[in-house]
Amino acid sequence: MQALKIVITGSYAAGKTQLIRTISDIDTISTDYEVTLDEERQLKRETTVALDFGTIAINDQVTLYLFGTPGQERFDFMWEHLTVGCLGYVVMVDSTRPGHFAETQRLMSRFIEITDAPFIVAANKQDDEAALPVSYVRRRLGVPLEIPVLPCVATDRPSVKGVLLGLLKHIATQNQMNQEQSA
Amino acid sequence: MALEGTLQDMSLSDLFQVFRMGPKTGVLILVSTAERGVIYVADGKVVDAVLAGGPDRRVQATQEEAVIQMLLWDNASFVFRHDPSVMSRPPRITHDSEWLVMEGVRRRDDPARAMPYHSITLDTMLQLSSLPSSAESGVSLDVNQWRILSQISRNTDVRTICEATGLPPDQTIRTVAELLAIGLIEVVIPSALPPRPKTPPKSHHDHVVSVTPAAHLTPELAAAAVVGVGAGDERPQVGRGLLDAIMRRIRGL
Ligand SMILES: Nc1nc2c(ncn2[C@@H]2O[C@H](COP(=O)(O)OP(=O)(O)O)[C@@H](O)[C@H]2O)c(=O)[nH]1
Ligand SMILES: [Mg+2]
Repeated sequence: MQALKIVITGSYAAGKTQLIRTISDIDTISTDYEVTLDEERQLKRETTVALDFGTIAINDQVTLYLFGTPGQERFDFMWEHLTVGCLGYVVMVDSTRPGHFAETQRLMSRFIEITDAPFIVAANKQDDEAALPVSYVRRRLGVPLEIPVLPCVATDRPSVKGVLLGLLKHIATQNQMNQEQSA
Repeated sequence: MALEGTLQDMSLSDLFQVFRMGPKTGVLILVSTAERGVIYVADGKVVDAVLAGGPDRRVQATQEEAVIQMLLWDNASFVFRHDPSVMSRPPRITHDSEWLVMEGVRRRDDPARAMPYHSITLDTMLQLSSLPSSAESGVSLDVNQWRILSQISRNTDVRTICEATGLPPDQTIRTVAELLAIGLIEVVIPSALPPRPKTPPKSHHDHVVSVTPAAHLTPELAAAAVVGVGAGDERPQVGRGLLDAIMRRIRGL
């Protein structure tokens, strides 16, 4: 039994839980995850953060896990754990909240420090007629052209499929480039 | 459902650009401490506006003048909602939004404050705008704006422009801010990700934190979340065949 992992990240209310819920095999996904920081233990406090996960059975041998990261930066130590061994990740951003772009940028920079895994950006909530276009989101986040920024509607299955397929294609391309480099 | 934020998050000139690109139709409401403005947008064009304020909410300006006043605001919260009924509103503004932005820019003491999320220094990198703009805009540039625009190729910094044009830094920065507001150029955002050297993921945080999976997580899942599925520290090298199998499965969902 092989388990493969894709991480879904993004700032608060970007649509991470929704995306995982839309595509997953299992029904209820959000679960609590107890986190104890040493400092916090000293203060005799415990924190609990919501961890989203979903699974997609690929075949008898392989299951794909989707993990949503807790958004708040104070949990960013969890990002490191979550990204170890992941195939790639999706950075979700709410296309109707320009006020969240700065935090999304910080989160992206942090992930790039943590992991080499390929990623794409999903400009979510594109079903809102007022949503900012993908090209504007790309420009404001400073995403270089080689990284796909895809339109996303996390409530819509075909759209979520498109985002995951976009990530997988990007991973395939990156793998091929790495192979060509090492050859 | 709406586009929401503050002018500190997104300037009015950026909003107008986005409306043109859509093209979008709807109502933009801006609320500052003392005033309240409404801008009507039909098929990407600004067609009417009204600005009210004071204790009795008197109308202070309408049409072009109302928009230009709002372009001078440093901050306000905004909400833009899609509303197809604006299409049937008689247009009362004849100038295009680029012309309005230009007028706003001319009247501003400090154009750099119009886009607070782009700080402009001598090190700021610029490029020509990558966003499509309308073909026939009502904008006419002055000599300094032309001089600076003509210096910008891919990733030019403001210092280089100063040297090439001989304009003083403060004048150059001001003019760059004007060109940015009009949407002719854009800032190359420094977070742009350079190709990174391959380093194995760090695990130095392990001694600082302990992560305890809650009881209702299955052991496999907890293990997958924490140490990573696949083998050890390295990212699993998944072959093309397996990636294709995953893609087929997702397509079939
Ligand atoms: N219109 C719309 N709403 C969405 C979409 N995705 C998420 N939402 C809503 O946005 C809110 C935040 O989504 P959620 O998945 O909880 O965000 P999270 O904090 O990233 O997990 C919820 O009310 C969702 O129903 C989308 O694609 N379109
Ligand atoms: Mg969530």
